Amino acid sequence: MLIDFRFKALDPIRNYVNWILRPLEYVMMAPRNAFEITSEYFTTRSVLEKENQAMKTRLAELSLLANQSEFLMIENQNLRELMALQNQVPFKTLSVEILFNPPNPISQRIVINRGSNDGLKLGNPIANDAGILGQVVRLYERSAEVSLLEDRDFAVPVQVARNGLRAAVFGVGRGNPLELRYLPVASDLEVGDILLTSGIDGVYPPGFAVAVISKIERNADKNSSNVFCEPIAAVNRYRQALALLYDPQFDAKAPVYNKPTTGTQNNTPGRRQTRARGMQ
Amino acid sequence: MIDFQSGYILRPVNPAFIYFSLFCALLLNLLPIGNYSWAPDWLILCIVFWNIHQHRYVDVVWAFILGLIMDVHNSDLLGLHAFSYSLVAYIAISWHRRIVALTVLSQALHLIPIFLLVSLFPVLAHWMLSGELYWWALTGSIQALIEAALWPFATRILLAPQRRPIDVDYNRPL
Repeated sequence: MLIDFRFKALDPIRNYVNWILRPLEYVMMAPRNAFEITSEYFTTRSVLEKENQAMKTRLAELSLLANQSEFLMIENQNLRELMALQNQVPFKTLSVEILFNPPNPISQRIVINRGSNDGLKLGNPIANDAGILGQVVRLYERSAEVSLLEDRDFAVPVQVARNGLRAAVFGVGRGNPLELRYLPVASDLEVGDILLTSGIDGVYPPGFAVAVISKIERNADKNSSNVFCEPIAAVNRYRQALALLYDPQFDAKAPVYNKPTTGTQNNTPGRRQTRARGMQ
Repeated sequence: MIDFQSGYILRPVNPAFIYFSLFCALLLNLLPIGNYSWAPDWLILCIVFWNIHQHRYVDVVWAFILGLIMDVHNSDLLGLHAFSYSLVAYIAISWHRRIVALTVLSQALHLIPIFLLVSLFPVLAHWMLSGELYWWALTGSIQALIEAALWPFATRILLAPQRRPIDVDYNRPL
């Protein structure tokens, strides 16, 4: 246990066991899936019609928004170029399916059906249509485990949507509300404020909803306030989610030793190359 | 082996049935019913049963391997369930002579501490590692009570193949 906790040395064993176990888990998911499929199959026509209508109106609204957002995005990009700011990094999304949440008294995790073979990386955020769900914490070849916002000491850097105040949301443990820590009493917060990811950490892309402030306890003596929040994205509602394959260009990269010299690198002007030429 | 409940001599156990029942219990544990702390751990019920009744077939090593599998499924620290299952298997094996002679209900009462140990071990280990105790997670003790309540049914189902009569008289059943 200690070896696994401190050194992560037993990952190969975990991988092998998982490789055997995953088919069995898929088999045992079959009854639930069959039940869901049959209950979906027997939904009445009127329900479907209503749902279809609602979806059409939603689609119309969203496509209108999308047209506008494209225009805004181009404008934003141009303005950023004018001001010589760094461009926002576009990122890909990968639709994932939530397989199950393993029983665990302490933490709440979910297992998804995509893994490193699909391009998922450790630390990729997982979101659904409402907001951020969590982050990939353990990666297998064809599946991954996602730690949810509620998990203990799970931190997300956020920004209050109303005034741009930056803070960090922390998970406190299963069944407890999230906490906004390290803020002075006088900070401008209200119940109902929406917290968006700020993107300064290089893990979460900016602008995704994370939580809503539900309760504020101001403590003037200690100059601190306890701010409790509710996560926006509900885990247990849908089986579908999106993995955000976000790779910000601005964070420090690990140093690459013994870089292989390729043709493109030879063409780029560089100090080492001129020296090499001079030597010849 | 003597069945202390009825006083009859049981038929010899079929090892294939033991491993089949362990496999079924493992599959039941893999059912995606969600993260509920009260959901019974079928596997430990089955392991403890065979530890008590047939400890030559299902010993601490089996408990360790099955616990390792449950660790991977539950995405726990590797070895958490493996350790608690093998600890419990050891206790169950060392108690088996005393427990087999009791009636089924008092067997269940005797096994409550064993099941409690399995249910609360992850919480205690987390307490040791991180220094913070989850009072909320102590509701896992409900799981232990449910498992103890399932013990008579487990005895009935898992001993059924051994309780069959040896020669069946088809002309005069019973």
